[in-house]
Amino acid sequence: MRRFLDKLYLGAGALAALCLLILLCIIVVQMVCRWLGISFPGSTAYAGYFMAAASFLAFAYALNADAHIRVSILLNALGKRRIWAEIWCFIIGTLASCYLAFYSVRLVQGSIRWNDISQGRDATPLWVPQVPVAIGAILLAICFIDNLVTLLKTHKHNLNGEKFTGPEV
Amino acid sequence: MENFYAIMIFVFVLFLLLGSGVWVGLALLGVAFVGMELFTTRPVGDAMMTTIWSASSSWTLSALPLFIWMGEVLFRTKLSEDMFKGLSPWMARLPGGLIHTNIVGCTVFAAVSGSSAATLTTVGKMSIPELRKREYPETMVIGTLAGAATLGLMIPPSLTLIVYGVTINESITKLFIAGILPGLFLASMFMLYVAVMSKLSPNFSPKPEAPMSFMERVANSRFLIPVILLILLVIGSMYLGFATATEAAAFGVLGALTLAAFQGSLNWQTFVASLMGATRTSAMIALILAGAAFLSLAMGFTGLPRALAEWIGSLELSRFELLMALLVFYIVIGCFLDGISSVVLTIAVVEPMIRQAGIDIIWFGIFIVVVVEMAQITPPIGFNLFVLQGMTQHEMGYIAKAALPMFLIMVVMVFVLIMFPELATWLPENMRQGPGG
Repeated sequence: MRRFLDKLYLGAGALAALCLLILLCIIVVQMVCRWLGISFPGSTAYAGYFMAAASFLAFAYALNADAHIRVSILLNALGKRRIWAEIWCFIIGTLASCYLAFYSVRLVQGSIRWNDISQGRDATPLWVPQVPVAIGAILLAICFIDNLVTLLKTHKHNLNGEKFTGPEV
Repeated sequence: MENFYAIMIFVFVLFLLLGSGVWVGLALLGVAFVGMELFTTRPVGDAMMTTIWSASSSWTLSALPLFIWMGEVLFRTKLSEDMFKGLSPWMARLPGGLIHTNIVGCTVFAAVSGSSAATLTTVGKMSIPELRKREYPETMVIGTLAGAATLGLMIPPSLTLIVYGVTINESITKLFIAGILPGLFLASMFMLYVAVMSKLSPNFSPKPEAPMSFMERVANSRFLIPVILLILLVIGSMYLGFATATEAAAFGVLGALTLAAFQGSLNWQTFVASLMGATRTSAMIALILAGAAFLSLAMGFTGLPRALAEWIGSLELSRFELLMALLVFYIVIGCFLDGISSVVLTIAVVEPMIRQAGIDIIWFGIFIVVVVEMAQITPPIGFNLFVLQGMTQHEMGYIAKAALPMFLIMVVMVFVLIMFPELATWLPENMRQGPGG
């Protein structure tokens, strides 16, 4: 189960990375089209969709990589009692991410029901780019629940920034 | 304020969630939820999701991951060695000697990277050991590095400016161009300080460099040419109006990859590592922005920004007094929050004040960046201090003390900006209009 979940987060992260790569391609193609005088309708909208997908799909992966920023003064000051604050944080995180996941699914449902179409020139049915956003939000919720359960059972969470090297912001 | 108690609860929840260590993006989401429940009867969840969807899928925002990616690619090249090798022959003769490589190195790298931590690690991993070998005073080495690395946030590309521009709906390109001159000015103030201190300080006696002929120096710095070209490509394409910020970022990524390929440091591993690094960092910022988008919607319903703007208006502060108040406000916030979080958290409240006081919104972007830059080198939460602590094993207090002069120089910078606003506004007013902003 542990390995499956970790693979799931990493897989979504890889998918997000792929979205970034596609985003780059869209922008390059759009520039080339402009220079050649060919029209590429809706390119900015497509870039936006991939931007949203890249962000949401990577949320859970970034959480497990300990990349999300938090104010840690209090946490560090608590010493041994830190565990209680961590549990509180993960409860809030779980609630917030479940709320987000629930309404992101509702957004997709609503877009399908009202047949929402992008107002840009791309005229994409909006539910299509909203599906990866919903999936990402659900994964984030799963990741929070997963960490909360692990934390309660073993007094340790899975956030680990040390596996990853590189400059964060 | 008619809803005094409701506002108090709202502010209390804000401090509670942020302070207890809840992830910033989710804390903002939680506060916004409480605000909406307190102040409106609208269905909260659906309003939240519509706002977050449109904020997350914006075209301007897509510059962000690309600029991060560009920095990640360059971080994994041999750029830091090349920079030291290329810059040191030119700096050796200046008063202050090779300390200047810290400042110039940061300035150059800042022009290809949007974050100050990336600037710090890239320049520092080469310059710290080299400068120590030559027996430069340790406080100078560390202090200047901590200070100059903050240029990463000011000189374009800048992640903080992208976030600021996206939140207040202003042209990213204009903000970037506005950052150039103040960034260079700040860098030259740092250099001036180093030059003066090297003459005044009694224990400034580094080992002298071997003299080098002009041609040798040129030969040594040939490795810097690709970086300079990359900088010209990215910033030039925006300034001349060939490209929007997002398009310039795409140029930047392609250029950085090309540069890495020519150096032989591009392989499948580094490519994946840079891409995944960019994915993580941009997801982190995207979560904060999603929370912030919802929060600013909620803020609108609380009436807090308007009330505060009116209250500030009724005080009839002069522009200068208002800016001083904001300066203190941001330094205090910056002690606890990182730059991006403090910008998105406050801007919904501060923007109406600024507009009402008739302060140029582009200029204010640069002002806010200098101020959050200062926060990067002040304890207890100064990101550059943490990074330096990891790199040098010094204590936090020691590093903070070494960086104090740089902090003071940045305070001077704020006053210079207030006295000569043209420093920030002249270039953007004189640039060519880009394709669709």
